[in-house]
Amino acid sequence: MSQFLQYLVNGLTIGAFLSLTALGYTMIYGIIRLINFAHGDIFMVGAFAGYTVLVAAAAAHVPVALIVMAALVAGMLFTGLLGVVVERVAYQPLLSAPRLAILISALGASLALEESARLIFGAGFSSYPHLLPTAGFGVAGVRLTYAQVGMFVMAVLLMVGLYLFVHRTMLGTAMRALAMDRDAARLMGINVERIILLTFFLGSVLAGAAGVMQGLYYTQINFIMGFLIGLRAFTAAVLGGIGNIPGAMVAGLLIGLLQSFAAAYVSARWTDALVFCVLILVLVVKPTGLFGERIVERV
Amino acid sequence: MPRVLGLVSERRAAAGWAVTLAVALAAPLVMGSYQLSIATSVLTFAMLGLGLNIVVGYAGLLDLGYAAFFAIGAYTSSLLSLEAGLGFWQTLPFAVVATAIGGCIIGYPTLRLRSDYLAIVTLGFGEIVRIIATNLTITGGPNGLYGIPAPGIAGVSITSIPGLYYLGLAFTVAALLLSWVLSRSWLGYAWRSLREDETAAEAVGVPTVRVKLLAYVMGAIVGGVAGPFFAARFGAVDPTSFTFLVSVQILLVVIVGGMGSLPGVLLGALVIIALPEALRAVADFRLLIFALALIALMVFRPQGLWPAPRPRGAPRGRPVPAAPLEAAAPATRGQPAAGEDLLTVAGVSRRFGGVRAVDDVSFTVRTGEIVSIIGPNGAGKTTLFNCITGVTKPDAGRVVLHGGRHGRRVLHRRAPHRVVAAGLARTFQGIRLFDGLSAADNVLVGRYCRRRRDGWRTSRGLTGGLVGVSGATHAEVRRWLGFVGLGDRGDSLARELSYGERRRLEIARALASEPFAVLLDEPAAGTNPTEKNELMGLIRQVRDSGVSVVLIEHDMDLVMSVSDRVIVMDQGQMIAEGTPEQVRGNQRVIDAYLGGEEETAAETVEEVLGWRS
Amino acid sequence: MAPLSRSSALAGLTAAVLLAAGCGGGTGGGEGGEPIKIGVPVPLSGDYASAGEDILRGARLAAQDINQRGGVLGRKIQIAQADDACGAQVGAQAAQRLVSSGIAAAAGGYCSTAALPELNTFHRSKIPFVMDASTNPQLTEMGFAEAFRTIGRDDQQGPIAASFIVNDLKAGRAAVLHDNTTYAKGLADAAAKALQQEGAQVVYNDALTPGQADYTPVLTKISGAKPDVLYFTGYFAEAGLLIKQAKQLGADFQMVGGDATNDPTLIKTAGPAAEGFMLSTAPLAQFLPAAQDYVKSYQQAHGAQPGPYSVYEYDAVSVVAEAIEKAGSAEPEKITQALAGIKGFQGLTGTITFDENGDRSDPVYIIARVEDGKFAGYKDLKDGQWVDFG
Repeated sequence: MSQFLQYLVNGLTIGAFLSLTALGYTMIYGIIRLINFAHGDIFMVGAFAGYTVLVAAAAAHVPVALIVMAALVAGMLFTGLLGVVVERVAYQPLLSAPRLAILISALGASLALEESARLIFGAGFSSYPHLLPTAGFGVAGVRLTYAQVGMFVMAVLLMVGLYLFVHRTMLGTAMRALAMDRDAARLMGINVERIILLTFFLGSVLAGAAGVMQGLYYTQINFIMGFLIGLRAFTAAVLGGIGNIPGAMVAGLLIGLLQSFAAAYVSARWTDALVFCVLILVLVVKPTGLFGERIVERV
Repeated sequence: MPRVLGLVSERRAAAGWAVTLAVALAAPLVMGSYQLSIATSVLTFAMLGLGLNIVVGYAGLLDLGYAAFFAIGAYTSSLLSLEAGLGFWQTLPFAVVATAIGGCIIGYPTLRLRSDYLAIVTLGFGEIVRIIATNLTITGGPNGLYGIPAPGIAGVSITSIPGLYYLGLAFTVAALLLSWVLSRSWLGYAWRSLREDETAAEAVGVPTVRVKLLAYVMGAIVGGVAGPFFAARFGAVDPTSFTFLVSVQILLVVIVGGMGSLPGVLLGALVIIALPEALRAVADFRLLIFALALIALMVFRPQGLWPAPRPRGAPRGRPVPAAPLEAAAPATRGQPAAGEDLLTVAGVSRRFGGVRAVDDVSFTVRTGEIVSIIGPNGAGKTTLFNCITGVTKPDAGRVVLHGGRHGRRVLHRRAPHRVVAAGLARTFQGIRLFDGLSAADNVLVGRYCRRRRDGWRTSRGLTGGLVGVSGATHAEVRRWLGFVGLGDRGDSLARELSYGERRRLEIARALASEPFAVLLDEPAAGTNPTEKNELMGLIRQVRDSGVSVVLIEHDMDLVMSVSDRVIVMDQGQMIAEGTPEQVRGNQRVIDAYLGGEEETAAETVEEVLGWRS
Repeated sequence: MAPLSRSSALAGLTAAVLLAAGCGGGTGGGEGGEPIKIGVPVPLSGDYASAGEDILRGARLAAQDINQRGGVLGRKIQIAQADDACGAQVGAQAAQRLVSSGIAAAAGGYCSTAALPELNTFHRSKIPFVMDASTNPQLTEMGFAEAFRTIGRDDQQGPIAASFIVNDLKAGRAAVLHDNTTYAKGLADAAAKALQQEGAQVVYNDALTPGQADYTPVLTKISGAKPDVLYFTGYFAEAGLLIKQAKQLGADFQMVGGDATNDPTLIKTAGPAAEGFMLSTAPLAQFLPAAQDYVKSYQQAHGAQPGPYSVYEYDAVSVVAEAIEKAGSAEPEKITQALAGIKGFQGLTGTITFDENGDRSDPVYIIARVEDGKFAGYKDLKDGQWVDFG
């Protein structure tokens, strides 16, 4: 029983990072129907931005909490702006081009970000300083660390914040309107270009936050770390019904759990195959994902 | 003139291919073994690109896991030669069958999915195949399989670098020929229509499910040949050769070159494989430069480096002038005699959530009639059409088409393409042509379900025979274009036609399937008075040629002047049926149009309904 | 002419790009005073680029030392590098490029995945290939006369690790974990077999998916099997995370790694948790008495400690030079013959004698341990007994 709970906790921790990253995929897809392959790499850039701040701050004598906050904020801001730049350069000129063109452009952007990071930080691994407390506690036979709990709470707070922003503010409403019908939104006086940029900004900010948190928690980063998590986050976004924000959050956690229980009851080597099998089965039964709305095609 | 130009450009293309082939054949004379080995890699990826091009370029289906087919082909062949001792050539048919099965497996779950979801499902399939190869013992796990014998010809095994290059070249040429034949076959036209508009393709008679699956299978087969070649070339296969990144590389070959374009795919393979090698001079920055070049290429040239040529009209021959229809008498086969029941709609209902869009509608259309369905917006007219033509499944009721080989055909719960085959064709309210295809090709797709009737004989000899679109079909296409007055527009893209021309082209596409009856959904919407008059003439001509017409229309002038009978719908229900005169005086009809119990001044009725006595 | 322009453009471009791709690929072995080229195929891009860079440095230092002594046969040694990106297809091309550039011999390689097609290519051109880091047994068992290596094999390391785990750590229950790469699986299989022969119970033997950040599910599963020791044969990146996360979970087994965990990144990643982590490894340059000068000059040139394999690459290049000297010729086939006859060559990593497969007849493995944030020699196998290192 306690082992089962341990797997549950492990899975939720993994899932929290996935959810944060999946949100960016789903938001951007919702608004311009683009699978943003560069999103995982934005996550990676966030980790390196935070790393740069931490290394610079290591020399100064500043309280740890302050440094961590600074790294987080810096990582989020930098990736937010980077997301905007990527949209401007690689996607905006292609919004009305054939769908595959923008997909390839996204692949190009992904590779460009990876290569830039490799050229700047090298091909090897970089290590975050060990700032988070390693101490933990046990509840009902389950081992938890304070850092783990902190990360999870932080991820949930960010997601709730995003949800409230999208559903309770004018700008958020404009985003949702745009996702439903770009032309109608434009006719209603919504500045479409600005809202698209805002979406990229927000999605990238969340990915950046996840990147810094990953660095802080796992301490090991490199220039291709965005690939696998990007793949799984993208899977989560589709599983939850792409374009659906709460769906991505829930599906991220589900995939985290699936990874954990796959290691427990099947074998870790089959993890990804299982994740994809579950995804394909879900899509066969429910073609728009777990929480996606049914799309009625007009004839 | 267009014919001459067409021939010149054909000759040009043929000469171009000949020059390219000559250069490729001569390459080993001037190139060192390193360049040749890169050239062989380029050929491998050209093969893979050609296979994927069938899926992505022709049929418009996204596939991010194409390396899976490459892997299945490579592993099947390697295992058979290592475990069963088969030679390279003996393993090929097995590899092809195995990948074709793989194509079905990936194709099946994707049939119901929207195109965006295809991305992740195909990606997942690719990963699953790779993970299976990594984890199973029989595939050698992460080690892969070693010591795969080299392919032999006449007892001599091909191990030299130029030998492997020529083998790769031969395979690539074969893949090119297959692609070329497919692109001009009925299947090729069906794929293109699928790419342009899946719903419309199904509704004009293309069996989209089967055609989609065939796209995956045909695409997979090419990968199934490239795989064994790859394995035999290196004497080894291991799972790292079939990662997601390889799938992406193959996709890049297709997109960068130009989707659907054969020279484009070759150029794409050259750029994607050889360019990074050539950029080794700038060692560290080469991938970054490559990535930025990729973005720039998409931004400034999203159609690719060498896009597919603008499609020409399929029929070659003199344009047919707009002709009266003395000669044309379609669908005489087994059609009920004039005045007998042709189409019976009985108790058809369809709800969407709580709304009864169509509620217990029954009526009959007789051979040789023009029947109009009118009613206010939202009355359920289009939903009724969709129920009859199989686009929407009715919740209850029966739709029966009389006549034909079987005497009668039950249509409800049949897929739209079978409804067309049974003899009922349609047009759409918001014109759904295949915009990227020529006018003639639009009509040609409409003829899909009658392709066997036209036979396989062509005026173009052997190549024509391979291609399968017969001379008779081209003649039919010309005839229908002429019939709707588009005899000289066959080469124009559908999207370049004027609004009225597009309406008429859609009718020609429907008629090309030789239906007993056509269902026209608001053909006069948006037309000007002159066009409307032409349309009225056309509808009568269609009827005179023996094809019954069911019409949804708001334009009362048109309805009242052409219809033999009028059916009125309101809120899903049929509220009146009769001759134009009978309907005109019906109180329920007037109420429906005016919204209930309001006083009904004759002038208002005239104004609203546009009826003049 | 005009009608042909586009297609001729394609044909012309094909030729141009291919020629450009191969530029510098002139043939000819070089005569007289021309330098003798030794090809070094290593990953210079992708995940393992840093390891490839380290190996390349070892090769360059060897060439530098040889040339300072006057070269071989009066000619200088020149290093020709090629990026194999750790991939099969790129590897085959890299090897082909080296062959075309007229190398006399090859010395290098990192991933077994790439080394195999490289070896195939060199074998076809009859060029000897001395591998410095690829430990997969298969490489020297295909009957290719051209295959040699200065590093031990996985099936030599596995039993040594197993012996340490059972005889020194006194473990009765052992878990074996790999990452499903060719190398790691080979080592894991060899170790698992040897562990059972030594009398230990293998309670877990499976793979993880590399490239993730969180391995707590796998570790929880392993904890549940209650092993005394976990032998992880994958790479250092995963090892660092495993060590740290095992600590977080409060796992009470001793972790031992294979030689691919031999990288300072592991210590940085795992932090304080790395203390006491042990690994079976071919000795690092730092531990080798004969290699102290090498470590100094490496540090001077690159401002860093040498990585795990550069010293084996140094020996690979040196042994090739020795073979050229003995053969009295830079003809690849004669070098191959001379290499096969190498006996008792004093390299930095010890005495090198090639057996009939081209493997080192007595490879050296030690157990190292992380102490005070550094790898240090810990135990050594002397006459069948585990004794303290040094």
